[in-house]
Amino acid sequence: MPRWGMVIDLDRCIGCEACVVACQAENNVPINTEDVYHQRRAIAWIRVERYWEGEYPNIKARYIPVPCMQCTNAPCEPVCPVYATYHTTEGINMQVYNRCIGTRYCAVNCHWHVRFFNFWEPKWPDSLKNQLNPDVTVRSRGVMEKCNFCVHRIVKAEQKAKVEKRALRTDEVTTACAQACPTNAIVFGDLDDPNSAVSKLLAQAEQEGRVYRLLEDLGTDPKVYYLKKIDVAAAAEPAATH
Amino acid sequence: MRYARLLVFVLVVLVIMAIPLALVLARSYFLSPTAQPVKAQPIQFPHQVHVQAIGLDCTYCHRNATTSAQATLPPIELCMQCHKIIPAQGRPELEKLVSAFEQNQPILWNKVHQLPDHSHFVHSVHLSFGFQCSTCHGNVGAMGKPGVQQVRDLRMGDCITCHQQNGARVDCSVCHY
Repeated sequence: MPRWGMVIDLDRCIGCEACVVACQAENNVPINTEDVYHQRRAIAWIRVERYWEGEYPNIKARYIPVPCMQCTNAPCEPVCPVYATYHTTEGINMQVYNRCIGTRYCAVNCHWHVRFFNFWEPKWPDSLKNQLNPDVTVRSRGVMEKCNFCVHRIVKAEQKAKVEKRALRTDEVTTACAQACPTNAIVFGDLDDPNSAVSKLLAQAEQEGRVYRLLEDLGTDPKVYYLKKIDVAAAAEPAATH
Repeated sequence: MRYARLLVFVLVVLVIMAIPLALVLARSYFLSPTAQPVKAQPIQFPHQVHVQAIGLDCTYCHRNATTSAQATLPPIELCMQCHKIIPAQGRPELEKLVSAFEQNQPILWNKVHQLPDHSHFVHSVHLSFGFQCSTCHGNVGAMGKPGVQQVRDLRMGDCITCHQQNGARVDCSVCHY
């Protein structure tokens, strides 16, 4: 049984938001208008957080893509009164839309703010209706939604493997954000498979001491790993000046 | 007759409580997919003729059933491979087919086995594990005009029961994602 995980190399991330666009297109995420942003009701299963580092002349933009962390001990799960969010055997934190009654407790309990509520019926312009992904349910008004590691792609690959009577191959599946990333900053795969790209990346980065996770000390054991930015200028600076 | 009023009161309460129960039962009985009348189709396609008389396999027309999620309906071109030879004159249903082909118009069939949008059924996996089309669809080959009817419930309880009997996964995410 695979244990899906993601590695995001912040040294490679250039903040282009291709992952955000790919995710919106892949998962039938409604279009966020300016109005929706002002109401703080925008839905983005993966978002790119931006912050500045340094003082004015030497200022640098830093980016962190934030999808759902797929916590092993997810804080969102025990608070759901109807078990609409639960853990699959493959370690994905799933949202069952037809079970959700919209209490929004899970969103309140999520420290990463990666759960989104459908305050309205989703709308698309007529020209975009035919681009909706048929493998993904269009969420109706009043249900929660979140990143699920493109579970439809995983299910599809597993079913294909079943039909062909074989096991799932290493790195056969990837998420839309990982596929769209122009610098391969996002890598998706099986954490339990030592040959997968994520395992190799993690093993290597572990030696360099670059691996960390967002809000790791909460003890939720997120399955999205970040690799620290290598700041060449900072590393070259003599330590005595500080 | 000391308790006459109490008895009447209890009876009324019981009747009032039975109304919603009866409504729910009636709803599941009358709205069950198998209780629905045969859906009208743009062309009254006789499966009987094609399957029983000619002996076509289901996958001859529903070509993607073994390889993809959808069984898919054939394009008119596939129909016309045979029907350009078979005379259509005097057969109103066949004339509809030929005129649709000549005008390059698709035939807008009505879906008979309509699952809700939030459940995803995959034909290929079920067929690869040795299930027959008739397990869910019934003996479609014997259904003639006016059209195909749904014979199996195919609601969630039905799916779950079959999955449990055959040792398939009953995770929500197997079908709902």
